[in-house]
Amino acid sequence: MANSFKTLLPEDVATTRTLLHEAIPVTGTIVSGTYDDENIKTFAHGMYEAVYDYPYLSSSANHIFDITAGYSPESALSAASNTQNAKKINIYSQMAQVLVGYDVTGAIQQFDVDGNLGGGDKMKECFFLNFSRLLTKDEIKKDSFRLDLYSTSSGVSDADNRADLFSIGDYGAQTEYLTNSPAGEYGLLYTASSSPKGDVVGHIYYQAGVAVLTASYFEGAFGDPEGPGADESDGLARQVDDQFTGSTISEMANGLRYAYDNIDFNNTTELNSTIYFCRANNTEFNYSSNPTYLSDSEIVVKGNNPTANPVSYITTVGLYSPDNELLAVAKLSEPLKKTPANELTLRVRLDY
Amino acid sequence: MAFLDNSGDIILDAVLTDAGRKRLARGDGTFKVAKYAFGDDEIDYGSYNASHASGSAYFDLEILQTPVLEAFTNNRSSLKSKLISVTNNNLLYLPQLVLNEVGILTQRIPDSATNSLSSGSFLVVVDDLTSNQLVDDAGATFSHRIMFGSGHLNPGNNHIRIDQGLNTTKLDAANKLSAELTEQQYMIQMDNRLGSITDVFVGAQGSPSFIDDDQIATYYVTKNVGKYIENCEPGALGSPDFVEDLNKGAETLSGPRGTKLRFGFRSSANLQASDYLFDTIGRSATVGSETYGCIDTTVKITGVTTGYSIDIPVTFAKKTS
Repeated sequence: MANSFKTLLPEDVATTRTLLHEAIPVTGTIVSGTYDDENIKTFAHGMYEAVYDYPYLSSSANHIFDITAGYSPESALSAASNTQNAKKINIYSQMAQVLVGYDVTGAIQQFDVDGNLGGGDKMKECFFLNFSRLLTKDEIKKDSFRLDLYSTSSGVSDADNRADLFSIGDYGAQTEYLTNSPAGEYGLLYTASSSPKGDVVGHIYYQAGVAVLTASYFEGAFGDPEGPGADESDGLARQVDDQFTGSTISEMANGLRYAYDNIDFNNTTELNSTIYFCRANNTEFNYSSNPTYLSDSEIVVKGNNPTANPVSYITTVGLYSPDNELLAVAKLSEPLKKTPANELTLRVRLDY
Repeated sequence: MAFLDNSGDIILDAVLTDAGRKRLARGDGTFKVAKYAFGDDEIDYGSYNASHASGSAYFDLEILQTPVLEAFTNNRSSLKSKLISVTNNNLLYLPQLVLNEVGILTQRIPDSATNSLSSGSFLVVVDDLTSNQLVDDAGATFSHRIMFGSGHLNPGNNHIRIDQGLNTTKLDAANKLSAELTEQQYMIQMDNRLGSITDVFVGAQGSPSFIDDDQIATYYVTKNVGKYIENCEPGALGSPDFVEDLNKGAETLSGPRGTKLRFGFRSSANLQASDYLFDTIGRSATVGSETYGCIDTTVKITGVTTGYSIDIPVTFAKKTS
């Protein structure tokens, strides 16, 4: 019986998992400068700032990450008289709940510098960079995250006055990452790559796509050039601690943006694929139902010679349901000749 | 040492069709890839030059240079012509599907300057009011060619007839088409919003196997289930006999014949009760002093064995004023 379909057997189907990586650079000029802050979206609630890759009122703009900051209620800086005190605590607690979790009593744990939650130094005042899913996809690739950040940004609107640039990164995280977070795997962020690696100044949560940076990284002047203490002679607000008490979250986010030089990381997309081996044996698929294949019912490629081999050309592979509904289509880049003298196996991959 | 040719093993990325996405989203297990087919939609075999002076390597030079389009995600737009597996490599002829309009009950409305209702397509009137009015208005030109879609009014059993076989005078029509190439099952696809198929010689309405995301219903009709499919009569063509099915005078294929498919239409309840679809996807036409709403559509018939298909133009009409 002639047939135009061929049933897939169990051995014709295979599943694979592929990790796909993309390099994501976010230069400092995007974060501050190029678009004159028209790509920086602030909100009435003042809880965070959103950074876009283009003025956010444009439909072409893509959200790339959010910046926010907060401190633990146990921080020495925490005080009811602080600007946005409740919101800063709220932000810290929210991030700590999600990224660090709770202790056995149900209390929210604080970010721990070395990731050993049993003790040691805590990061009680933090900046958070929450990357968009558009950039991180399924996760950030380990040992690929690099954040170039000035630890001093005096006269912050003047790049010449920024100093002490460090390339913060999760150096060596490919083999030295931590897993005691409810949000998945995370690595420590160091200020230097060589051994010793330098100080730990934060964490990068790979699956969550969040970088946590301790405020103590900023050793010199820090702040929003338009914000409190913009006058450098005012010693009060040009230190990060003073900014945490006297500035809004948006103003602190601005301070971070102006200290920012560059971010680079690789994202990861996990592709689960099913591969269908579509085999055309020598005796199969040698004829066509194409209307141009026949002239008065005679096969044109035979040239009036019944013993000539039939010829057909494959341009498309269709995957069908049991009731013959077309579910997926794959195309070849050029027609593929099929005759009784050859056999073909086309591997058709369907990604999920 | 030369490199090995790896052209026999190719990996292709597939895209889901809209119907595939719909089934996947339903999550009820209906997304199951069970079979595959190869298509050659872009190929014009008329470019095959089997008498090229430079030899067989040049026969398909034009075809192999044919640019291939990217995949369509519309499930109806791809794989319109499939490759066929036949065990016999020495076939010189393959069967076709041919519209048979020999019988008086199986004819389209002819092209006519005075008829803007349906030109060159089968005409289905959707309700009794339209039937009565149109029979009066149309006159003898085409009143006997009207298919009655309202259900109980189809006195003449007007229908569409598709014959399968070899349309050549080079072979003896007394021979039957080989069993390997004879269609025992057909697939009929039509817009489900407009109506459904009917087995006109049984008086039964067809039931679709599935309806896709574009509201295209797919029917499978099988020989010996109802009277949709019967064998064609063998033998040389006689004088045309307008009374279909009585003798071979109603045959249209010159060579060996396989089966014939016959079906009619039942208009949908929505078409009978409402003008909405006529207003949105239709047009208006005037016959006599009356205005009719018309929807032009295409019904696709595919032989399940050979994959050969044919598109039939159909117009659904309703009196709107």
